[in-house]
Amino acid sequence: MTKKSRTILLISVAVFFVIVLLAVLLFRKKPVSFEPELLNKAGVSGATLTEFIKVKLFYFSETSIYLQPVYREIEVPEIREELYKKFIALLLAGDSGHITPVPDGVQLRSIHYLVKKEMLVLDFNDLLSSAFPGGTTAELEFIYFMVDNLCYNFKEIKKIKFLIGGNESKTLAGHIDLEKPFFPNFDWLKSE
Amino acid sequence: MESLLDAGSIPAASIAIFLRSMKNFIKTSTFFILILVLSPLLTALSVGIRTSDHEGFTRIVFEADRSFTYAVQNRPGQMQVRLSSRADFREPTLAVQNSPLLERVTHEFQGNESVFTVFFKGDAAVKKSFVLEKPFRVVFDLEKSEKPASPPQSTPESSEKKPDTPQENQPAPAKPKPIETICIDPGHGGEDLGAIGKSKLQEKNVTLQISQKLKKLIESRTGLRVIMTRDKDSEVSLNTRASIANNQLAQMFISIHANSSFRKSAYGSETYFVSLQATDQESLELAQKENQNMEDPGETIKNDELKMILWNMAQTEYIRESSKLAEYIQNELNELLDTRDRGVKQAPFRVLMRTAMPAILIETAFISNASEEKKLKNEEFLDKIAFAIYNGISKFIYYYNNILK
Repeated sequence: MTKKSRTILLISVAVFFVIVLLAVLLFRKKPVSFEPELLNKAGVSGATLTEFIKVKLFYFSETSIYLQPVYREIEVPEIREELYKKFIALLLAGDSGHITPVPDGVQLRSIHYLVKKEMLVLDFNDLLSSAFPGGTTAELEFIYFMVDNLCYNFKEIKKIKFLIGGNESKTLAGHIDLEKPFFPNFDWLKSE
Repeated sequence: MESLLDAGSIPAASIAIFLRSMKNFIKTSTFFILILVLSPLLTALSVGIRTSDHEGFTRIVFEADRSFTYAVQNRPGQMQVRLSSRADFREPTLAVQNSPLLERVTHEFQGNESVFTVFFKGDAAVKKSFVLEKPFRVVFDLEKSEKPASPPQSTPESSEKKPDTPQENQPAPAKPKPIETICIDPGHGGEDLGAIGKSKLQEKNVTLQISQKLKKLIESRTGLRVIMTRDKDSEVSLNTRASIANNQLAQMFISIHANSSFRKSAYGSETYFVSLQATDQESLELAQKENQNMEDPGETIKNDELKMILWNMAQTEYIRESSKLAEYIQNELNELLDTRDRGVKQAPFRVLMRTAMPAILIETAFISNASEEKKLKNEEFLDKIAFAIYNGISKFIYYYNNILK
């Protein structure tokens, strides 16, 4: 092999690997994430200027086993935890034509974001367990409805811990261990 | 630029060189791609073994450069750890110096598998084991064998409503014998009604009926010993259920349930085995403690929280068998029930986590679905469910007992 053809060969190999690398980078599966869009819409509330963000809520439906997306707007409060509260209030309020996997009357008592652990602690009232209909699937539906919705919309939340009536609870209705925090499982959002 | 684009200006020799180069390029790239694709498969698993003695127990750790699947068989005086791939471990015998409980570790290849046999001294036995990540480690803690601390509980009723303490869930020492005892766990009971159907059918009654049918089938057809976590309408805590199975030295745990969903149209059957989140902060903390312990052998693990984590991970050792058991049972449910196959799934079930044996949870049908609730009232349908579970169990026993041979 001549020196010239060797050079051509080396260049060809290098080009090939660059193409493969680019293809891998371009076609790799992107992680599921969503950055709430800051809307170009500002209103005046009292004397202060208010901002709104667009969030994507996911609900169940009778026709699909996966969560279905619905877009909503939220006014952005100064405190981040207040934004989570507003978001959860929207989730619990439900959407017509969709199923909200939360027993009637369930309310959020308090919310805490632990920055170091990147964990959101949600404390619900006692109705969450006393009015829960039971069933493994129902428990998983509630857990991932909350976890996936929050982790999808707010990337700073990596996991969620549930409390009931201010205390740790072993399970919701006798199945899934509720003492440990939950990481998102975006398989529930497959319909996207 | 124009002259370069003019084909007439490129000599024929250059075209020949280019074509030859392209040929070589394809050959070389194929070679590189093959190397890239096959290299992880061709490289043997790099495994290291370390041991350390602590107050009351001896620890043996298998550490590898990447995760691996393995099966453990406990025999009197020894434990066999079978890796699903060949390990890069040169020494056929590793003598353990001055250890009160460990004698030596041997290594051999069996086909594409590596088999490590750990020989104990005296009456040592594996008390607990767990998996850690970053780097991937399988840890076994050995203790001197003791006689059973608590006498077997004669009836499930005697253990009802006991406080939930980690002590009562102590996994029984693994017995390397063919399956002789099966624990059936009828879900819910007493004041815990479970899910309730539209026509008021209660899950706790359905699960007890199916469990009793299954018990009869197993006893009459196999002669195996069957214990129940409850045999009447009584409330038994989740920890006590695991405790009953562990204390009675059951070798299989079958938890029977009826499902419910917020989606009333949901139907079908599914079988679960436990999922343990190895990336959990707790596991990472545990890994750190395990590392500290290696650096300072004088320090012993006495932390109650850590003990709780270890009890919570009792199922870790049996995940592979549990998944197999779930698969056999789900296949039979699909075949006999003629319903929607919702498949084999994993979730962190509290009742399964602390069982030290292959353990699964069956969601037979949806009580929240009007049509399936009607079926669950039908004795013939319940018979079919019991028979499908029995068939799955039988197939698993055949598989499991063959592994022991």
